[in-house]
Amino acid sequence: MIFAIVPVLLITLLIGARGVAAMRTTSDFLVASRRISPTVNAAAVSGEYLSAASFLGVAGLVVKDGVGAFWYPVGFAAGYIVMLALVAAPLRRTGALTVPDFAEARLGSPVLRRLAAVVVLVIGFLYLVPQFTAAGQVLAVVGGSPYWVGVVIAGAAVSITLALGGMRAATYVQAFQFALKLVLFIVPAIWLVLHVGPSTRANALEPVEFTRFPAATQVQFRLDTELTITEPTRVSIGGGPQQVLPPGRYEAHAGTTWVFDAGAAVPQVGAGRPPGGREWERPLLDPGGYPVLATWSVLIATVFGTMGLPHILVRFHTSADGHGARRTAAITVGLLGVFYLFPPIYGLLGAVLLPELYLSGGTDTVVVALPARVDQSWVGSLFTALLTAGAFAAFLATSLGLLLAVSGAISHDLVPGTLRRLRFTPLGAAAVAVLLALPAARVDVGVLVTSAFAVAASTFCPLLVLGIWWPRLTTQGAVVGVVVGLISSAGVIGVDLFLGTPPGLLAIVLGQPALWSVPLAFATMVLVSLRGRPPAWAAAAMLRLHLDESEAGSAATDDFRPPRMS
Amino acid sequence: MTRQRRIAVTSPQTRLALAGGRRGVPPAPPHLAPADAERARRIHRRQLRYALIVLGLLAALLLGLPVLLAAAPWLDEVRFAGIPVSWLAVAVLPYPVLVALAWCQLRWAERTERPPRRARGRG
Repeated sequence: MIFAIVPVLLITLLIGARGVAAMRTTSDFLVASRRISPTVNAAAVSGEYLSAASFLGVAGLVVKDGVGAFWYPVGFAAGYIVMLALVAAPLRRTGALTVPDFAEARLGSPVLRRLAAVVVLVIGFLYLVPQFTAAGQVLAVVGGSPYWVGVVIAGAAVSITLALGGMRAATYVQAFQFALKLVLFIVPAIWLVLHVGPSTRANALEPVEFTRFPAATQVQFRLDTELTITEPTRVSIGGGPQQVLPPGRYEAHAGTTWVFDAGAAVPQVGAGRPPGGREWERPLLDPGGYPVLATWSVLIATVFGTMGLPHILVRFHTSADGHGARRTAAITVGLLGVFYLFPPIYGLLGAVLLPELYLSGGTDTVVVALPARVDQSWVGSLFTALLTAGAFAAFLATSLGLLLAVSGAISHDLVPGTLRRLRFTPLGAAAVAVLLALPAARVDVGVLVTSAFAVAASTFCPLLVLGIWWPRLTTQGAVVGVVVGLISSAGVIGVDLFLGTPPGLLAIVLGQPALWSVPLAFATMVLVSLRGRPPAWAAAAMLRLHLDESEAGSAATDDFRPPRMS
Repeated sequence: MTRQRRIAVTSPQTRLALAGGRRGVPPAPPHLAPADAERARRIHRRQLRYALIVLGLLAALLLGLPVLLAAAPWLDEVRFAGIPVSWLAVAVLPYPVLVALAWCQLRWAERTERPPRRARGRG
């Protein structure tokens, strides 16, 4: 089944090679790309954007947290409205490929540039690690190997693709990736819905709480898990004889398989809610009893964070001008809207057919595990292969984009050096991501990616929005605001990850800080700026971003210079 | 594949930064001709207004819908084609609204930038 990913790799490399060959004489970004229509570019943006979090994570969160997880994709898509309204066209006109570039263009501050590069690293790794954990888990499920083998294989696949020069910045590769992911996600979803039969469909829409195993169920624990058993339960552990466990707490070790008898009560895991319960059915996110605040916080993080994702911003530079960038953002909303209609289907079917994933901590694999549960014949295997290929395409597209963005930040902004070093920095960054992913198996893909959004929303969002729309922004204001935003988002999320989630309102305040950290960063930036004085040219630096290139005369045309040779 | 010279892709801003020679200020402080500045100011104001209208509508949708769903739990019981209405309100309803908002914003922004009398033939 591992072979499912080989065609994806090969096709990606092939299109990458061809695309690069077609555009090699000049730079893809600066000249050839100007012939690319906004629609193709929007497909490329969507292709790069649909990561393992969209392909696997959302459905997994539906099984684990409930119907409220439907909100994640809404935020992921709505981010492009803010991008369209506030950022796309003016940012394209600065000629800036990245936020550090923008900082330099708008405020002329090397300090801010370096600070922004640090933030790119934080966002990049927060986004990269879950991609690798997802790839590792999928390969573990499909291939039956341990988790760490999956992560290492994923790291090797990325490194090989990078070394062979696949998927450079070619827009067509990403556009192809989007079409591939769309087909590989939608076709199996339709097949599943038609194939499961009317009773499963009815159960998916009227879920029953998962309190008893309807049939003898095998649960493969991939992580050490503490179970609380409330009534005598018949179970056989690790292939041993069936025994009756008295009520109490038990430790299921990683790698063991428990077979629960039909009719046995489902043990409790941590503070989670079993799929199908009353609370699970509510369409709001509710980790600690404040559903509206928790849902808002996730929405604010995802909606305002989209504009700060380093691998996405680069894509907008492929548009010919600000006008094209804006159209690209608008079309992206539509393309993502089509894709995001489908994760809930996987989530709801998964909650009915594979609720035991909630016990084993493997909810992120629900999408890939569904076909085999529905159909044991070759057809099921075929769809498992298709979904694995799609998941891997999602992992690959996003990781490569992020690795290039991260290594760009290192070798351009933090340690400016020769461009030759750029060739090796991505490999180093991939190695770091693999090392970070190895101990992170327990963290949900969707949650960690949302943390990356929260950091972007608390740092780059105020910097970009105020930089583009407010002439009085000063360098001091921007620096202090970004630092405050970084500490209140990444710092707080780090505390939450390493010290564990506290109960109640604090769970939202620490686990999903965007609700307060974004306004705090905005307020800091504004207040500090008001105490200082912007340079005389600040107003012109801002206003020229709002002039259409074709009418702007000499303004905002810096980027028409030929690229430097190396 | 023929071997051709590779060209490093760097943004103009990166090139300016790598070229060095600037400390604290951009290489040439940006300036605008008075007429351009006046027009830019007008466009800036109008674009900001449209953007805020669209973002206000977006906020009404994204902040209002969770409040509505929290306040009206009976929506879970109402079903359309067998699916709870409250689920549809999150899983399906937002996407057409988002597309409509995007379309609206795009129309307004492009009209502001290029008044009809000076419209050009390109897309």
